Amino acid sequence: MRKAMVLIASLFAASVYAASAAPAEGAEHGKEDVAGYILHHVADSHEYEFEVPLSHDHVAIHLPEIYIPFHEGACTPTMTDHGNVVPGITQGCLDLSITKHTVMMWVATALLLATIFIWSNRDKSKLVPRGAGANLFEMLVLFVRDELAIKNIGKEEGPRYVPFLLTAFFFILFMNLLGLFPWMATATGNIAVTCALAICTFIVTQIAGIRAAGLGGYLKHLTGGVHPLLWPIMIPVEILGLFTKPFALTMRLFANMLAGHIVIFFLLGLIFLMGSAAVGLVAVPFAMGIYFLELFVAFVQAYVFTMLSALFIGMSVAMGHHHDHGDHGADLGHGHAEGGASHDHGRAHM
Amino acid sequence: MAEEPREKGGKEGDELSPTARQMQAAVPYISAVWKMVGGAVVGVLGGLLMDRWLGTKPWGLVGLSVVGIVVGFYGFLHEMTRLGKKK
Repeated sequence: MRKAMVLIASLFAASVYAASAAPAEGAEHGKEDVAGYILHHVADSHEYEFEVPLSHDHVAIHLPEIYIPFHEGACTPTMTDHGNVVPGITQGCLDLSITKHTVMMWVATALLLATIFIWSNRDKSKLVPRGAGANLFEMLVLFVRDELAIKNIGKEEGPRYVPFLLTAFFFILFMNLLGLFPWMATATGNIAVTCALAICTFIVTQIAGIRAAGLGGYLKHLTGGVHPLLWPIMIPVEILGLFTKPFALTMRLFANMLAGHIVIFFLLGLIFLMGSAAVGLVAVPFAMGIYFLELFVAFVQAYVFTMLSALFIGMSVAMGHHHDHGDHGADLGHGHAEGGASHDHGRAHM
Repeated sequence: MAEEPREKGGKEGDELSPTARQMQAAVPYISAVWKMVGGAVVGVLGGLLMDRWLGTKPWGLVGLSVVGIVVGFYGFLHEMTRLGKKK
């Protein structure tokens, strides 16, 4: 425990060092540099930049920029106030560049695979796994299976979605934790990353709905159960409604992860904004508190994303089962609304 | 001990957490509310797009907004009536 505390404190000290190196230079140019520094460090970029320990030297690794034009000259950069700007997808240029956050996702994937291979590789002749790592890993895996998948989807359908939920949980957890290490970045503080994760959940949710209701039942649900003359309005309404859940997943994870890092940076930035080292006596302990909170948030956010994913899959499965029996979900609402006893009654005819 | 055979979607809800049960119970009601809100949203967006493409400003927006609101409200009432009948 003491070793863990020392390790965390060392990480924080290194993070403070890494965060404070640049503003020390930036303060000479004006207070607005602190905000610019913070935004630069939480944003994605085509460079992997880090400070060399015990010096003010910066090392920038330029990452490959890959643009795929849909038509001739679509990816020609134009000079703006922010430098050379390459047109986006709406102008016909697909940006597949390797960015800082892409590298972080790769690092998280590599670490996750290494962890799985090391901790899952045990003596098969022994029933009980030995070692703290293997037991911790097993505890988390069982938690995701028993408390998230089965409790939100059901005992019958839940285990089917455990591999997806485990992947999401550990991938998000590793990305969140990586951002707390010095010279690293939080990929989950990038809306494109959280959006991609939410799209995965969206696809699995729809597959779960189709599996439960059948393709016919799923498509019937999209009509909203109204007269065919009203379908031109109702079908877009239902399709739009499908995207509200992944949108919530995207924004929640992105905002939570980004906010924590900005708060830490701003607390440290106060030292430079106030122009006094004495402010550090208050700002650094506060920042350290937020850092510990971030450690907790890393687990909580991975849990919440996975829990909500399981909940949405469960809702989709339940909705599908209603359609399967042609009652459009009304009876379940009735059964549940009246408590556990009527819940059974509500589903008895299924 | 052999587990009892379970029909599709039968007693599956028994082991669900209270949150999952409540959320699943709320699905038809959320769906009904979304129909009302979504109808207006789709109507307004459709009207704006229609005005832009056909140059009918502001009649596309006015017309489709009204249609969207009416259809959304009808969808809401339709769903609530069905829920009421089930009760």
